[in-house]
Amino acid sequence: MKYSRKEIYRDFLTLVYKNNVGHIGSCLSVMDILISLYFSLKKEGEKIILSKGHAAPALYVVLAARGILSKKKLNTFHQNNSDLPVHVPNGLIKNEIPFASGSLGHGLSLACGIAHANKLKHNNKKVYCVMSDGECNEGQVWEAAQYAAQFKLNNLIVFIDVNNLQAFGTTHEVLGKITADKWKAFGWKTYECNGHSIKEIVSSYKKTMNNSSLKPNVILCHTIKGFGLSFFENKLKSHYLPLTEKQYNLGLLEVQKL
Amino acid sequence: MRKAFVDAYIRVWSKKVQSIFLTGDLGYMALEPIKKIMKKHFINAGIAEQNMVSVAAGMAAEGFVPFLYSIAPFITLKNVEQIRNDICFPRLPVTLVGNGGGYGYGIMGSTHHILEDLSIFSSLPHSASYIPAFDEDLLPQLKHIYKRKKLAYLRLGLAKKYSLKLPLYSAIRHIHSGSGITVFVLGPLIHEVLAIKAIDEQLFKELDIWVVSELPFTLPNNALSSIKKCGKVAVIEEHVQIGGLGSQLGEHLLSLSTFPKKYVHLYAKGYPSGKYGSQQFHLNESGLSATEIVQSLKSILI
Repeated sequence: MKYSRKEIYRDFLTLVYKNNVGHIGSCLSVMDILISLYFSLKKEGEKIILSKGHAAPALYVVLAARGILSKKKLNTFHQNNSDLPVHVPNGLIKNEIPFASGSLGHGLSLACGIAHANKLKHNNKKVYCVMSDGECNEGQVWEAAQYAAQFKLNNLIVFIDVNNLQAFGTTHEVLGKITADKWKAFGWKTYECNGHSIKEIVSSYKKTMNNSSLKPNVILCHTIKGFGLSFFENKLKSHYLPLTEKQYNLGLLEVQKL
Repeated sequence: MRKAFVDAYIRVWSKKVQSIFLTGDLGYMALEPIKKIMKKHFINAGIAEQNMVSVAAGMAAEGFVPFLYSIAPFITLKNVEQIRNDICFPRLPVTLVGNGGGYGYGIMGSTHHILEDLSIFSSLPHSASYIPAFDEDLLPQLKHIYKRKKLAYLRLGLAKKYSLKLPLYSAIRHIHSGSGITVFVLGPLIHEVLAIKAIDEQLFKELDIWVVSELPFTLPNNALSSIKKCGKVAVIEEHVQIGGLGSQLGEHLLSLSTFPKKYVHLYAKGYPSGKYGSQQFHLNESGLSATEIVQSLKSILI
């Protein structure tokens, strides 16, 4: 990993501060999942669906750190005539990130389609879907959960960013927390880990390799919304507010301690 | 029309390696031949239409060409966002087959009718709608869908027997010559218009009849000549007033600065009496049955 984790967090803060954009808390909670995927887990040609498309800035920074997205292109984020809007655009990375996301609930179904197609083509490619816990409010998620179990899509690896906060309340307050039991009841093999420990995320992924059943895999990654920023951690405002200059400078110092 | 669709699908699509057929748990006594031929490529995706559309998009991104089947409202209204974001935006070759267009499901009730679908699909990017008027239309339409390789919506209606020599298939076909009113009919409602002959043969002789089986469509020159010659236009469709054949034809004529002297648009008016019945009952209520159409056409012929 040429690029350090701290440098990725730093670049992210600079990107969102310069462009005065929100969704910072959601990006920071999923950052280590994306770093794990792009620096340790995903093989070339395997597809990723970032179903929580509002975390696109985190994805862009990780792709740039990995050398998949140029720095020049990253600098067009949030500008006119850009390929990089605030939510994931259609065809961001040809053959690897094929779909636009931002309206929650589609990603797991899309990933199911890709995983089912891979089964029919008899190839060994995995498909990765990254979702938020709030997204599990969507009915389509549970349609897809049933589909994946019914068609034995054990080539599907789902990461859920369980940060316990959604857009206007905690998951507990809104429609209920997302638990492993809910996924187990739908016929999935479940794993849980600290979503800010790359070691634990990778370890959970490796356990999916030993899944001898035909069940699809879901890894509940327990995370903190606004992770790394003392003034944003576990706070609803981190979903909406951009960084002030003071917060940005403080944030740069704080993420160096991660 | 389901049998004609199944026969045509088997001829055009079923043996292609990239073909996938998904059903939303429907198709009893119709889709069994496709299921038998396609084996693992025939998928019952359950009563979960939003998921089915996005799954199909995922499969299409891997090179497959999915056809999706359900009752028309369930495959159109319930999942518009999935269709737009997951199929239209990435320009994937997915076909949605909706059975029972218009009031096709009759006494089954309003939840099973679809009167707004063509308006929706006409506004979606890279989309085309196919509205077969005769069983024979299915084969050329499926061949066209195969070549086009983008989102297609196939609206199946009720096929009826007819006694005319069909011209070669095209999006818009000239069915009968007359010099009184240029009549544009959408898909299977052509059978109501053809029934006018038995009710009022004199009126029928006045009608220059065109059947439209695809939206969007390009108005052929001889249809435009007919409008200019007759000066009177009637549009007849089993669809709401906005966004269907009438809207599209009207806009097209405006763009050509062509203004008929008289114009009547006969369209589906929903449930004017609040009562339910057969497809024919609802056509009567909307003024779309042959006897009702006769009255409307006479009113502009004078």
